[in-house]
Amino acid sequence: MSTIQSDTAGSVWKILVTEGQEVSEGDELLILESMKMEIPFEAEHDGRVEKIHVAENDLVQDGDDLVTVSE
Amino acid sequence: MTFTWESALAELEKRRALSRQLGGERRVQRQKDQGRLTIRERIEAMTDEFQEIGEFTTVDEVDANGNVIGKLPAGFVCGLGTVDGRTVAIGGEDFTIRGGAPQTYLDRMKGGLGGFVEDLAHEYKIPLMMFVEGIGGDVTAQEDMGHAYLVSSMSWQRSFDLLTEVPVVGMVSGAAVGGAAARAVLSHFSVMTKDSVIFAGGPPLVRRALGIDLTKEELGGARIATASGAIDNIAEDEADAIDQMKTFLSYLPQNVWELPPRTESEDPVTRRAPELLKIIPENRRQPYKVNKMIEAIVDTRSFFEIGPNWGKSVVTGLARMDGMSIGVVASNPRHLGGALDASAAEKQVRFVDMCSTFHIPILYFVDVPGFMVGPQAEKANVVRWGMRAIQSIIEAEVPIVTIQVRKAYGLAASATSNPDKLGLRLAWPTGEWGDLPIEGGVEAAYGRQIAEADDPARMRAQVEARMAELVDPWRTAEAFGVEGMIDPRETREIVAAFFNASRDAMKSQIHEPKRRWSVRP
Repeated sequence: MSTIQSDTAGSVWKILVTEGQEVSEGDELLILESMKMEIPFEAEHDGRVEKIHVAENDLVQDGDDLVTVSE
Repeated sequence: MTFTWESALAELEKRRALSRQLGGERRVQRQKDQGRLTIRERIEAMTDEFQEIGEFTTVDEVDANGNVIGKLPAGFVCGLGTVDGRTVAIGGEDFTIRGGAPQTYLDRMKGGLGGFVEDLAHEYKIPLMMFVEGIGGDVTAQEDMGHAYLVSSMSWQRSFDLLTEVPVVGMVSGAAVGGAAARAVLSHFSVMTKDSVIFAGGPPLVRRALGIDLTKEELGGARIATASGAIDNIAEDEADAIDQMKTFLSYLPQNVWELPPRTESEDPVTRRAPELLKIIPENRRQPYKVNKMIEAIVDTRSFFEIGPNWGKSVVTGLARMDGMSIGVVASNPRHLGGALDASAAEKQVRFVDMCSTFHIPILYFVDVPGFMVGPQAEKANVVRWGMRAIQSIIEAEVPIVTIQVRKAYGLAASATSNPDKLGLRLAWPTGEWGDLPIEGGVEAAYGRQIAEADDPARMRAQVEARMAELVDPWRTAEAFGVEGMIDPRETREIVAAFFNASRDAMKSQIHEPKRRWSVRP
């Protein structure tokens, strides 16, 4: 189980997965928008999307939880 | 009693055995139970050889009533060590003796601020490796002296001198409070284990002064201390911390009167890096992984990142290029779009000062949309810190080669290159620059005219298209407004050629430091 955290402040632009979905290492899970950049967050390992902690258009801060992926 | 060699040497061995016992079995066990090495084990893990100095120093063991009940070794172990074949001054507090408090009970302090080990590094011009663990000042010191000590009587001169002379490298494992925290911060590189803490004052003090109840981890744990920049890096454990200290040292010279050691590179300088075309997306709104970009260009597996948890809109670290030590600074478009905020600027100042002090040339990957804007940035004093970042680049006495990766807008671009020196700027075809990014710049300059136009959208598109043509990097290259335009895949060979060419100039620049300060802690 691992939780991807944001490494920047920004807003959630697109969520690309749904809870329960199987993902592979490197798959893009969601994209933040920050300072006009589209910042992808990828799965760190194969697994299943356990929980999505944010909704599209949410503002997030550096260090906020984004997506939890189970092993 | 008449002198005999036998009894004299037996006495020496007896005293040596006492010093090996540190604070005694119970206190040593407590240290081990917390998963920490003793100071003697730390030194042993770091060094190939160790010549101890001051091993017979002692401190009275006193009970709560003030009665002397025995003698313990003094709370600092130090001497001359060999680390990967290099001679260093090395030492650290013994936490099992009075919690590593300063050895004010001795005629001459062994270590900490201004102790013998600092004189050893200064006089012999050798690096100082410190293991910092201590509670800072303690009231028993006042009892020893019989009066309260005015702390401004303490000389800091030696500790600051060292920052201009030799590499100073520190590890925090356990707690570093007050003076011990200060000592750890007065270094060129510091690392703490993930379960350690560092602060000016601990939780009891904070509770009394501010009425805030925090655990020591919440107050000064490794995540806090590395996000603030007080400590550069986090280590998994002490073995990892010692590895990181050795790695850092491997890029630095013994002192500022030498060039950094050069290693044989097994990575040919002619190696092309086709992967860069994958790493840098064609869509300029998509960021790239900065560390991957750096690693594609420098000698294989040579990049050692420093300060990854703070000032994250720039990445800084040491690396090798054709075996030479280089400092790498890179804008990080994943964080604030790469905009330079106060903490990123502060991090850059510290790193550039360090590189300049030790004759390490700088490779700067530029992708900066400007100084960070917004209320938070202004409150953090982004303009002053941004200007200090520019000052550190202008004052740097090492070659700086910049790679114009993407954006270079506004004043922040001046924090990447010095026009009065060679200012060698090599652009990739992805480079773009100007006073302001087009979108915001057009609005600022022509906002009113666009709003009053019959078809504002059409007019905006027209003005933006006109501007876009001007920011074509080839136009600047044609005007020699950027010194080079290169194929990213060939970056390594070109940069290595210029850094190799700068070696003679670097040798000629080794002299007494002009400034009393070099790396501001």
